[in-house]
Amino acid sequence: MREFIRGMFNVMFRGGRWFYLWMGLLTLLLALGVVGYIIQMRYGLVITNMREQVSWGFYISNFTFLVGVAAAAVLLVIPAYLYHFKAIKKIVVFGELLAITAVVMAMLFVFVDLGRPFRLWHIFPLWGSPNFPRSILAWDFLVLSGYLFLNLFAVVYIGYTRYMGKHPDRRIIIPLVMLSIPWAVAVHTVTAFVYNGMGARPFWNASILAPRFLASAFCSGPALMLIIFQVLRKVTEFEIQDKAIFKIAEMIAYAMGINLFLMLAEIYKEYYTATEHLTPMKYLYFGLDGHGRLVPWIWTAMVFNTAGFFLFLIPKTRKNFLTLNLGCLLIFLGVWIEKGIGLILPGFIPDTLGEVYEYMPSGYEVMVSLGILGAGGILYTLLVRTAIAIDTGRLRHPEAPALTHEEEEGPLARDIMTKRVISVTPETPVEEIGRLLVANRISGVPVVDSDGRVIGVVSESDIIFREVYEEPHLFERVASIVLPPEYRAMKKTGAYARDIMTTPPITAVETTPLRELVSIITEKKIKRIIIVNEREEPVGVVSRIDIVKALENISL
Amino acid sequence: MEKDQSRGLISRRDFLRMTALGIAALSGGGCGDLWRDRFQEMSPEEIQDLLKRWEERYKKRYGVDIRVKATGPMEGVLFGYALDLSRCIGCRRCVYACVRENNPSRDVQIQWIRVLRLKKGEFRLEDSEHYYNPESVPEEGYFYMPVQCQQCERPPCVKVCPVKATWKEPDGIIVVDYDWCIGCRTCMAACPYRARKFNWREPALPKEEINPDTHYLGNRPRVKGVVEKCTFCIQRTREGRYPACVEACPVGARKFGNLLDPGSEIRYILENFRVFRLKEELNTEPKFFYFFSLGWA
Amino acid sequence: MLLLLFLPFNAVAGVVTEPPPIFRSENYPCSTCHEAMSPNIERRPLQYHQEIDISAHAEDLFWCLNCHDMEERDKLRLINGEKVGFEEVYRLCGQCHGSIYKDWTAGTHGKRMGYWNGRKRYLLCTHCHNPHRPRFMPITPEPPPLRPEETLWKKIRAEG
Repeated sequence: MREFIRGMFNVMFRGGRWFYLWMGLLTLLLALGVVGYIIQMRYGLVITNMREQVSWGFYISNFTFLVGVAAAAVLLVIPAYLYHFKAIKKIVVFGELLAITAVVMAMLFVFVDLGRPFRLWHIFPLWGSPNFPRSILAWDFLVLSGYLFLNLFAVVYIGYTRYMGKHPDRRIIIPLVMLSIPWAVAVHTVTAFVYNGMGARPFWNASILAPRFLASAFCSGPALMLIIFQVLRKVTEFEIQDKAIFKIAEMIAYAMGINLFLMLAEIYKEYYTATEHLTPMKYLYFGLDGHGRLVPWIWTAMVFNTAGFFLFLIPKTRKNFLTLNLGCLLIFLGVWIEKGIGLILPGFIPDTLGEVYEYMPSGYEVMVSLGILGAGGILYTLLVRTAIAIDTGRLRHPEAPALTHEEEEGPLARDIMTKRVISVTPETPVEEIGRLLVANRISGVPVVDSDGRVIGVVSESDIIFREVYEEPHLFERVASIVLPPEYRAMKKTGAYARDIMTTPPITAVETTPLRELVSIITEKKIKRIIIVNEREEPVGVVSRIDIVKALENISL
Repeated sequence: MEKDQSRGLISRRDFLRMTALGIAALSGGGCGDLWRDRFQEMSPEEIQDLLKRWEERYKKRYGVDIRVKATGPMEGVLFGYALDLSRCIGCRRCVYACVRENNPSRDVQIQWIRVLRLKKGEFRLEDSEHYYNPESVPEEGYFYMPVQCQQCERPPCVKVCPVKATWKEPDGIIVVDYDWCIGCRTCMAACPYRARKFNWREPALPKEEINPDTHYLGNRPRVKGVVEKCTFCIQRTREGRYPACVEACPVGARKFGNLLDPGSEIRYILENFRVFRLKEELNTEPKFFYFFSLGWA
Repeated sequence: MLLLLFLPFNAVAGVVTEPPPIFRSENYPCSTCHEAMSPNIERRPLQYHQEIDISAHAEDLFWCLNCHDMEERDKLRLINGEKVGFEEVYRLCGQCHGSIYKDWTAGTHGKRMGYWNGRKRYLLCTHCHNPHRPRFMPITPEPPPLRPEETLWKKIRAEG
């Protein structure tokens, strides 16, 4: 116990200059918020700029946004790794820690919004009197708490087993992860339903709301995760491949595309029918009779979201870390505006009796919100540091056996791979490749781009299939009928590596365990896996024969 | 009254008491919010105790003897209200009669009635004026529409309350238990009529302006951080009296009575005039009807 | 419906009517002066009751003696010749304003006070309407509510 406390103390309070600076900044924010909240406790919510016209404001806006972050931290990142147990453990931990932090922050935002915070227990099942099944807010509280508990349980379980020098059981982790995915969807849907179900507020009372919530959450949550992953990769030994980052960015682009599409669908409906329900939207985008405080905000969000969408859609900018991070920032802020004040406030402007009150948060509301941001930052930092300390063994039960990778996973890719890698470029002629295969008695070669990244594989079979008659493309067939023969130039196929290579290449990292390599090879029905480093350069090849050798070694 | 039955080895309330006692002990008993029962679940004796406690508390706070009643609903009564838009002159006498009767905050103003001025020939709430202040009313070319709680038969505010702090009484009045409300203001977002008001700060209520005849679910002085609303003057109407706004109206535009009594004024209006309900498309089924007794006003 | 029109008003149970406002007038009883005067049926500007301008009530159709009884000066006179006291003024008004009389009888026209389920206090037509000029005069409204901007914390603080 003493050891544990000492260890935790180190984790929490020992660090470099940057750590102290970072924590100092967050503590400052937290202190600011505490002061703001004390003032609010003393005088009441009168210190906010909310009034009966606009009865929810900045707090509830941030709550809504953070629920999205919490949901998506788990949603988009984890499924991408579900097949990759070794990697998923860390990603689950970091994703779920973010989810925990975001849920805690979201709940804090509701808490500071309450007029009688000490009566919060009225909503607890058994103890209080939650209005089931009619009140969506009561449900929201339940699913959010459940989500918090679920994620908390998963990370505490992983952390505890590692702390005790044991291995987390995948029979426990995988079901938890599997459950957390639909739960994340539920969390965000129920939150959307809180607003969605109000006939009094036409701006919210559109059935597109929950899908829009999910689509925008798929943007903001992962955008934040991408930044966090890069930071973690830099300051810790946490590994994540560029490829994974780019893949997530691509998925964000699709999510943003859907989000923008849904938004346009809504704008079309309101503007084309142009009933009285249009008014809040008019207020939001163009202002109403000289009232237009939200207009600059929402257009900023529109520009940010659209820019982010294109940055992530175009492979070149998606795969450049400068533009990638810019995109993350734009999308995060864009969604924060769109889904925070851009969603909550127009629900109240004009209010149900047609009055326009141009709400903007008061200084105190900003203070309290920054305090919650600080609290969230501190929480996440400490959680992540604890997780890393446990993972690296710095924080471990004194009697716990030392953990090694071998013990855990058996031999890894780096132990069995052929380290001599012959690679070719996309411009290498096929003839040349054939010669390489024969001369080196190998069955395939990776194709690398000018940066040395693997972009494809050419195998024996690629060369063989090239000789087989290729079904012409539909366009070519049409062309062959419509166009005169001289235009029907036959395609010269397969002159160079780029023409015949199999893409995307199936790769693994050096720490991928043998049993996973086996499952990849059998699932994908391939003959070899290219092993890459974090820059995606080929560092080895595991072919079927390497696996056979490794398996033989084990059994011997 | 909806009763929420939970029977187990120990009842929910026993559990509540034990936990609350523990917390109250820990917090030095300072936070009254941490242990409390819900009005709807109390026995008549407990309610009597509660009322007495509140009377003592008010005496201490305001130095005034305030009577807190918990008069129950009458059998066979469902309250209804009708307002004659062809007669209302927008003088706001009702607003201030309500304020004098119901003890709301004077400072960060709470008014349960809001009078809207609309241009003749139009009926868009967005074009309504809430702050008109001419020398005299009625003004040429305008008509007036007071709005207050419409006491919906299908109240969206009650549906969304996460803690059952607000409910519809058997006589149709929507009430709030100020001691149970957590102040989340979801009901305010859900109400299509802006009938619910929030105590943004400790209500400022000068003791010389206090109406000492109060109802637990109605006009007893409130505290900071809870929602309140029009109760058709529950403290008066449950004793057979007219609401304060009805008696204050100088043109007799406000009508009130028992919807279940075929001989009542309200039933006469429903049968003899064409009435409408505000935002009827929302299916909230208000028991507050607007009508026009005159074609020429 | 017609039947209801001619029902004596006290048939409505549990009703209290306030005494007519003219009883409080310094000019009442009318007979004090008019007993000695002979009735003048000629339409003319009034010398004594200068504030009375009947032209706003049904234009030129009416004159004092359409409603006030020529002989019994403290009474009103219905079309059928029946003489009624000021406390039954509604019967006089109801002769022309039949539908309003009906609504008033039912309790939906005019102000009601007291108990919705018991003893109601009815006001007479003349409590609210000047019989010689029955349309309401405009009145000063009570002040409008505060705008939300006027109740913000910095504003409250500044005002102490």
